[in-house]
Amino acid sequence: MAKIGVFVCHCGENIAGKIDCKQLTAAMEQHPGVAVAFDYKYFCADPGQESVKKAIRDNNLTGVVMAACSPRMHEATFRKACAEAGLNPYLCEIANIREQCSWVHTDGEQATQKAVEITRSMVEKVKLNNNLQPIEVPVTRKALVIGGGIAGIQAALDIANAGREVVLVEREASLGGHMSQLSETFPTLDCSQCIMTPRMVEAAQHPKIKVLTYAEVESVDGYIGNFKVKVRMKSRFVDMHTCTGCGDCIIKCPIKKIPSEFDCAIGKRTAIYTPFAQAVPNTPVIDKANCTYFKTGKCKICAKICELNAINFDMQDEIIDFEIGAIVVATGFQVQDNSVYGEYGYGKYKDVINGLQFERFASASGPTAGKILRPSDGKEPETVVFIQCAGSRDAAKGVRYCSKICCMYTAKHAMLYAHKVHTGKAHIFYMDIRAAGKGYDEFTRRGIEEDETSYLRGRVSKVWEENGKLMVRGVDTLLGKPVVIAADMVVLATAMVPQPDAKDFAKVIGIGYDEYGFYNEAHLKLRPVESSTAGIFLAGACQSPKDIPDSVSQASAAASKVLALFSKEKLEREPVVATNNEATCAGCWGCVLACPYNAIDRKDIVDRSGKLIKRVASVNPGLCQGCGTCVTFCRSHSLDLAGFTEKQIFAEVMGL
Amino acid sequence: MSEPFEPKIVAFVCTYCTYAGADLAGTSRLKYAPNVRIIRLPCTGRISPMFILKALQKGADGVLVSGCHPGDCHFNHGNYHARRRWTVFRSLLEFTGIPQDRVKFSWISAAEGSKFAELINSVTEDFRKLGPFDQYKKLIKETETAATF
Amino acid sequence: MSTQETYKTKVKELLSSGKVKMVIGYKAGTTADRRRPHFMRTPEEVDQLVLDSACITNLSGYLLSEGLLSDGKEIAVFLKPDGIRSINILAAEAQLQSNQVVVLGFDINGSEISALQGERASDFQALTSSSNEARLHKQQHPESARLEQMTPAERFAYWEDAFSRCIKCYACRQACPMCYCRRCIVDNNQPQWVNTSSHTLGNFEWNIVRAFHLAGRCVECGNCGRACPVNIPLGLLNMKMTDEVLQSFNHYPGVSETQEPVLASFKKNDSETFIL
Repeated sequence: MAKIGVFVCHCGENIAGKIDCKQLTAAMEQHPGVAVAFDYKYFCADPGQESVKKAIRDNNLTGVVMAACSPRMHEATFRKACAEAGLNPYLCEIANIREQCSWVHTDGEQATQKAVEITRSMVEKVKLNNNLQPIEVPVTRKALVIGGGIAGIQAALDIANAGREVVLVEREASLGGHMSQLSETFPTLDCSQCIMTPRMVEAAQHPKIKVLTYAEVESVDGYIGNFKVKVRMKSRFVDMHTCTGCGDCIIKCPIKKIPSEFDCAIGKRTAIYTPFAQAVPNTPVIDKANCTYFKTGKCKICAKICELNAINFDMQDEIIDFEIGAIVVATGFQVQDNSVYGEYGYGKYKDVINGLQFERFASASGPTAGKILRPSDGKEPETVVFIQCAGSRDAAKGVRYCSKICCMYTAKHAMLYAHKVHTGKAHIFYMDIRAAGKGYDEFTRRGIEEDETSYLRGRVSKVWEENGKLMVRGVDTLLGKPVVIAADMVVLATAMVPQPDAKDFAKVIGIGYDEYGFYNEAHLKLRPVESSTAGIFLAGACQSPKDIPDSVSQASAAASKVLALFSKEKLEREPVVATNNEATCAGCWGCVLACPYNAIDRKDIVDRSGKLIKRVASVNPGLCQGCGTCVTFCRSHSLDLAGFTEKQIFAEVMGL
Repeated sequence: MSEPFEPKIVAFVCTYCTYAGADLAGTSRLKYAPNVRIIRLPCTGRISPMFILKALQKGADGVLVSGCHPGDCHFNHGNYHARRRWTVFRSLLEFTGIPQDRVKFSWISAAEGSKFAELINSVTEDFRKLGPFDQYKKLIKETETAATF
Repeated sequence: MSTQETYKTKVKELLSSGKVKMVIGYKAGTTADRRRPHFMRTPEEVDQLVLDSACITNLSGYLLSEGLLSDGKEIAVFLKPDGIRSINILAAEAQLQSNQVVVLGFDINGSEISALQGERASDFQALTSSSNEARLHKQQHPESARLEQMTPAERFAYWEDAFSRCIKCYACRQACPMCYCRRCIVDNNQPQWVNTSSHTLGNFEWNIVRAFHLAGRCVECGNCGRACPVNIPLGLLNMKMTDEVLQSFNHYPGVSETQEPVLASFKKNDSETFIL
């Protein structure tokens, strides 16, 4: 038998000034299942709470309705009071007769009538409330960071420095990511390698960080606090433990003309190689596709030269299993392939390059040792044209979004060029100069005012070759005139796009992505570093185009989220989660599709001999956030949502 | 002359946006018609068409369903799913003669206290003009009459 | 050789070779213009097979009989294009695996029937996709058009009259290939969302809920309407739902088995003209 207590709060005059609390109390006393009802001036105050607790004990109440202010105000207060009196806190509900009744209506009689109906409806709901226990999820306090660029390294270091273990997985042969390819960084012009390399070394040497390079995350199962991760260690054919990184094998390798990925094909590399001189780790890998031994079965020069016998041509991929509590995804970006812009001549004319290639020219450790040289003839260009938004903000051929960093790096490129080639002239075609950031606008102004960069507001329509020059035809919309510039080099500010396999990888780890393949945050404004899957966080350009400070900030934010999660041995969650009636579930998987959190799995029901009887949906309470979208989808009404069950809502409506 | 008809309105709202918006209308002391009864759900995704039918059975002359604006759903997609359901369901209601005017849908954010108050006033006026949903009420009445043999 | 005879030979071969364990087809019914389902397990039973323009029932639902497909063996079934779309939907909703179903496709044109080429539901992709186009431009059912011209009150009266006849026998549910739930919402009394008494209100609720549950899943085979003993024009409700999902979401049910269920998916730019 239900024994419900109804407590009508006056809230001083806030409720009692409009609603006849005595009448409401009297009406509730008459209501079936109500064991006790009384009113009081302020139930939220100590004596009020005490009177509720006493009533719960004296009457052995099975449920409590507080007719008071909004649940958003004092639900937690009153539920706590109930718990203190030995009543499960989830047996307490609030009838909101202040914000949604006494404060908004003018007629006292009508307001009182409405308050009666609201409270009555809530009494009907409470009769069907169930004891709920907070969900406890154990937490494995070890983090996985996917991606060894600046964002991944930052997140790994922050977590490790707080004393938690980290597995840092990088798919290339070295840590570093795109930042290690850059020459100088805006707006300070400090050398990228100089600030990046120490971080790489720090991560690699950190006792709490296990760095796995040339490795890829193969699968992620489980849920927040309890992920099971498989990592594939790709065979590098060089033993990591034996190799000292002396580099003799690289020097002797006969295959020397492979375009270097790190140098954006400007430089060359060997078949056994490290991506760059400062690579961490500096153990080389053998590029199977280009290695003479793998192609013909002969050569093995590297193995002969290696005194430590570190070369092992029979090495196989290895799968390592990890138990992980939280994941930071920092898989970075790629630059768009500019060959879609035939009119700019990328891929057709050697001297049309993209911004990242320009970085390699400008880098002191790059193939030209920091000299800006034309790829075609190795001469110093006298005039360079930079084209911004070569892909960004272009729905027709590129991407609709702004890549965010191009205005700044183009300004930087023009500046670096001016510093290196004093007689050179830099022209920048731009749509807008977006220089929002600390010191950013000052930086672009400096380029214009001190380094005499010429900015032309307009688009370029065509680039063609004429008498050894690259003719750039564009328009200066501020002058309202077409412009033709004879340039020696053209640099395209290429759009930042997601990694080509970003969508596939999102499916592997179970997170959402947008139309482009950038990973979705749980809430664009309020939860920007969490993915929609609990326990998986985002850092850096895998979420949206970002510059270095933004990537680092997000990485640190993600790390703090991980550390907050790791601060307890167990994770406590509100028990408002979906449950499934496996007996009636038809296994149509509509709920699996509809769930925004991938919280619903397919579960096999087997008989005693292990034979599959049927497959049903199974809600993972560790992942479920309690929205109830699946419940509404379920045609057989097998799914239900604790705290807002079908029965409760039915009773609430019918109680009105 | 009888008193003007006062419609009974049931509103199903999500707790994160519209319920919070209704609270804001309260804290801002905005005034609106007292005809509406609010049922709080975690998300519009939880609002089943069955709720609407039951509200009608309970004698509602009008139903309001409201949640977060597209893109603002606390649960990311709940309101997108809900929007599809509503599109289909209201078309079905209309086809069976339950006028679309009796079931209204809105997006009201936690910041739109005044929109909430204005909307309640305007839909109350709309439902008042429509008058009682007599056709449906006749059927409800039929269920309450004892069978005779 | 007639289509029926060609198929008889083929069915005998399917059964005698052991390729399928059962063939579901049609045989003569109680009256000259009615056919009843025929479940053939041996070549001898094939002699009774009838395939003509009266074979209008969508047989796909029989595949879901408890345990029938659980041994993994294949079953062949005679299907019109609508039935093939049912297979796609049932596969999309994981109720069967399409590679367990051999489709014996046929179509009816007036009093003629013709065979459709293909073995698996996916072989008929061109057909199911083209019927999408055809449905878009199909003229509205005259009764639907008449209903849409009415005022809501008139429509209500129309359905009140129709639903008042409903005796809640659930023949519509039984006949429908898409009503495969182990426990129908109407059989759930905790809470009793749908009144089970056959008063008009409960009948309204039942038929509205059923139509809603079929939205975007109904292939308009007409099984429900034919099964109804009191001649409620149930097909009109389902047609309306198909019109709606086609117009609003460009969703034509059963085009392929990879199609996402229309109400378990969404697009951010779905139209929303009606939201205040």
